[in-house]
Amino acid sequence: MRRLDLIGTGLRVAVASGALALGAVLSSGTAMAQVMGGTAVFVQGSNPPSLDAMVTSSQASRNINMNVYETLYGFSDAIQPIPILAEGVEISADGLTYVFTLRQGVKFHNGKEMTARDVKASLERYRKVGATANLLAPVREIEITGDHEVTFHMVTATPTFLEAFASPRAPAVIIPEEDAEAEAGKTSLIGTGPYRIVEYVPDSHVTIEKFADYSQDTRQEGPDGFGGRKTAYLDTVTFRIIPEPGAQVAALEAGEVHILEQIPVPAARRLESNPDIVLEENMPWAFSVFIMNLNVPPTDNVKFREAVQVALNMEEIMAIASEGIFQLNHGWQYPGTTYDAGDIGAQYYNLADADRAKALLAEAGYGGEEFVILTDSNIPQHNKAAVVIAEQLKAVGINATINMVDWPTALNLRLQDTGWNGWTLQMGIEPYLGPVGVVATLTSPARPHFVVPDAALDALYQELISGPTVADRQEAMRKIQTRLYEIFGIVKLGDSGLMTARRANVKGYVPFRFPRVHDIWLEN
Amino acid sequence: MAAEAAPAPLSLAAEIARARRRRRAAFLRRLFGHPSFLIGFVILAAFAATALLADRIAPYAPTKIDYRAILAPPSAAHWFGTDGFGRDILSRILHGTRVSLTIGLWVVAMVGVFGTLLGTLASYVRWLDGLIMRGLDGLMAFPGVLLAIALAAALGPSETNAIIALTVTFTPRTARIVRASVLVVQGMQYIEAAHAVGAGHGRIVFRYILANALSPLIVQLTFVFAVSIIAEAILSFLGVGPPPPAPSLGNIIADGRSYIQEAWWIAVFPGIVIAVAVLGLNLMGDGLRDVLDPRQRVERGGH
Repeated sequence: MRRLDLIGTGLRVAVASGALALGAVLSSGTAMAQVMGGTAVFVQGSNPPSLDAMVTSSQASRNINMNVYETLYGFSDAIQPIPILAEGVEISADGLTYVFTLRQGVKFHNGKEMTARDVKASLERYRKVGATANLLAPVREIEITGDHEVTFHMVTATPTFLEAFASPRAPAVIIPEEDAEAEAGKTSLIGTGPYRIVEYVPDSHVTIEKFADYSQDTRQEGPDGFGGRKTAYLDTVTFRIIPEPGAQVAALEAGEVHILEQIPVPAARRLESNPDIVLEENMPWAFSVFIMNLNVPPTDNVKFREAVQVALNMEEIMAIASEGIFQLNHGWQYPGTTYDAGDIGAQYYNLADADRAKALLAEAGYGGEEFVILTDSNIPQHNKAAVVIAEQLKAVGINATINMVDWPTALNLRLQDTGWNGWTLQMGIEPYLGPVGVVATLTSPARPHFVVPDAALDALYQELISGPTVADRQEAMRKIQTRLYEIFGIVKLGDSGLMTARRANVKGYVPFRFPRVHDIWLEN
Repeated sequence: MAAEAAPAPLSLAAEIARARRRRRAAFLRRLFGHPSFLIGFVILAAFAATALLADRIAPYAPTKIDYRAILAPPSAAHWFGTDGFGRDILSRILHGTRVSLTIGLWVVAMVGVFGTLLGTLASYVRWLDGLIMRGLDGLMAFPGVLLAIALAAALGPSETNAIIALTVTFTPRTARIVRASVLVVQGMQYIEAAHAVGAGHGRIVFRYILANALSPLIVQLTFVFAVSIIAEAILSFLGVGPPPPAPSLGNIIADGRSYIQEAWWIAVFPGIVIAVAVLGLNLMGDGLRDVLDPRQRVERGGH
C-alpha cells in the first residue's frame, strides 16, 4: 500500500474550491437534522446515451449511473483512488500482481450477494464493451483466487494503473455475473449502489429508487468522492431531461425541480438575491478546446494549424462561450496542480496576431480551402466557441464555415476521418482525472482526437504512464506540453467553470463531478 | 374573344387596347383603394426595402462580435440591444429580413412553377390526373411544417435546402388549387370554341385556361409567401435553417430563448418583425382575394 499512497498524492488535482469549502461547512455543521423520504428532481439537458455504465463516457449517463453502480476502486474527494467495493489491494513489489479483496455481504439490486465471480465476469465484459477498455490493457489475466478475492496478473508494471482503473469516465462497474454476456446497453441495469433504476422514459426522465438492502461502506464517516459511506435519505430521485435552459430555470423558480446541473450565467445573476435558490460555481470545471483534423487539408499542414493557434483571441472566445466564468490557461493541466507544466507554450497563447497568422498562412500555401468547424446545437459552450472562432479565422482570411448538428450526430461525424477540420469540445472529466486522462485522448492506442496519431506524442504517453516516480511523470508531462505546442493539433482555449443552482430546501448537497443524490435530503 | 377568332379592323384593335388599359387602371384603382391591400402592400414594401438596403442602413455588420457588450439592453448605441455574442440585434434583424425575403421569394417562384405545372398537367392530361394527384395527396398526408422540418433536417442546414424543403411542402396544395380552377375553366364554352377553331394545346393552356385560372393562384401564392416566412423562422429556430453565424429571424429568436427573462430584447424584436410581416402579407392576400373574386364583388354591390 505504500506505493499506492505515493501515486495517489502524485496525481492529485485541485477540486472545485467552492465545493470543498461547502463540504467542510456541512460536515462540521452538527445542527442539521436529516429528513427521510421524499422525491427530488434533478435536471439535465440531454438523455443518457446508455444506462449501461461501462459503455459510455457521457456525463449525462454518469450523472445517473454513479448513483446506481459502484466500482472496486474510485476517486476520493481528494482525487486519490480509494477502495469502494474492494476491501483493499495488495500490490506485489515488482508491480506485476494486484490482489483485490472484496467487501463481504454486498448485495446487488436483485438481492444476490457480490462475489469474485461477478467481479471477474464484469471486468471481462468491460474488456469487450467498455468505452475505455484500454484501461485494462495492462492486465494479462484476472484470476479468481477466493470467494471474495481476485488477482490481476499484469503484462508490465504500470504505476498509473490504479488511477486509470478507478476512473469514473466510463467506469469499470461491477454488475451481476448473469449480465456479463449482455451486449452493450442490454444489461438488466442492476448494480450495487444506494439507488436502483426503476424507470427510463427517453426525452422525459429516469427514476431511481432507494435500495433498501444497500450495504453501506462503514469504513468512513460520510461520502468521499465516488465512495465512502453513502446514506440514501430520499425515497426516489427523478432525473428530468429538459433541453431548454430557459425552461430549466423556469422550472427551478417554480419549485417543480430541485437541482439544475447547469444554469446560464445571466439567469444566475438575476436569481442571486432569490432566497429560495442557492447558486454555486464550480471552477475550474472543464478545458475548453478546439480540435483540428490532421487528416485533411488545410488542417493537415502544421503551418496552417500554427496560423490558427496564433490568430485566435482566447479571451474573447472564453468570455462569450463560458458567459464570463473562465480563466485563461494555455496549459494542459489546471494551474498549480502537480503536473502543471508551467509556461511551456504560453508564447503561442491568446495572441490574436493577425499579421503573424497571415504570414504563416502564406508560408503554408493556403489557397482559401474551406475550413469546416463541426459543432453541436445542444451544448452552448461548444457552438458559441465555434461561432467566435469562425469569425476570428475569417478575419485573417481563412474560409471558415460552421457545420452545426445535434450532439449525437457531432460525436458521430468527428469519428469520420474526413468531412471536418475543426471541432469545439468541453473536456470535463479528463482533466479531472489528471495528465493521463487528458493525454490518453490524444494518443494511441485510442483514436486521437485529432485523428492522425503523432509518433512522438505516443512515445511520450508511454513515458507518462510508466514513469515510476512523480518527478519522472512531471518531466514526461512537460515534454508532452512542448510537443502539443509543436504539432498544434489541439488548441487549448481556456478553463471554464460551471454554474449550478438548486432550491434552498435541498440540504446536504455538495456539487461534484456527478450529482451525488445520496446524503441529501429535502427540508419542508 | 371575337378579336382572337378573326382579324379585326385596326380601329377596333386600338379600341380593344384602350379598353384593356382602362380595365387595368380600374383594377389597380380598386386594388389600391382596398384598405387591407394598401396597408399590407405598404408593410411589405417596407420589409422588402429594409431587406434590399440592409447593407446600407444596418449600423453594424451582422456578425460583428463584441465581448465587452454582451447582452446589452436597448440603448442609443444598440437600439434593439445585443445578443450573447455582443452582436447588434437591429443589424441582425435587418440582414435577417433579407434571408426571409430571399427564401420567401424563391419558394413562391418554385411553388408557382411546379404547382401550376402539376395542377395543369393533372387536369388537362386526364390519364396523368390520378398519378399526380395521388402522389401529391401522399405528400399532403404529412402536416406541412413537419414535412419541411424533416426534409430540411435530412438535407442538412442551408438556405438552399430550406427552399427545397418548403417548396416540396407547399407545392401539393397549390397544385390542387390550380387543378380545380383549370377543371372549371376547361368546361367553359370558349375553350370548346378554341378547340373547334383548331387552336393548339399550348395556346389553349397558356392563353385561355391559365389566364383565366390565375386569380386563385395569386391569392394562394401570397399565402405561400407568408407561410414561408414563418416556416423559415421555424426551421432556423430549430437549427435546420441557414447555419450560424448567418442571421435569420428564426435563429435570432433561438439565440434569445435561453435569456428570455434576462435579455427579452433578443427574441422580442425579431418576433415583432415576423408578426408584422406576416400580418402585412395576410392583409395583402385578403385584399387581392376581394378584388379578384367576382362573386364577392357582386355581393358588395360592385360591378
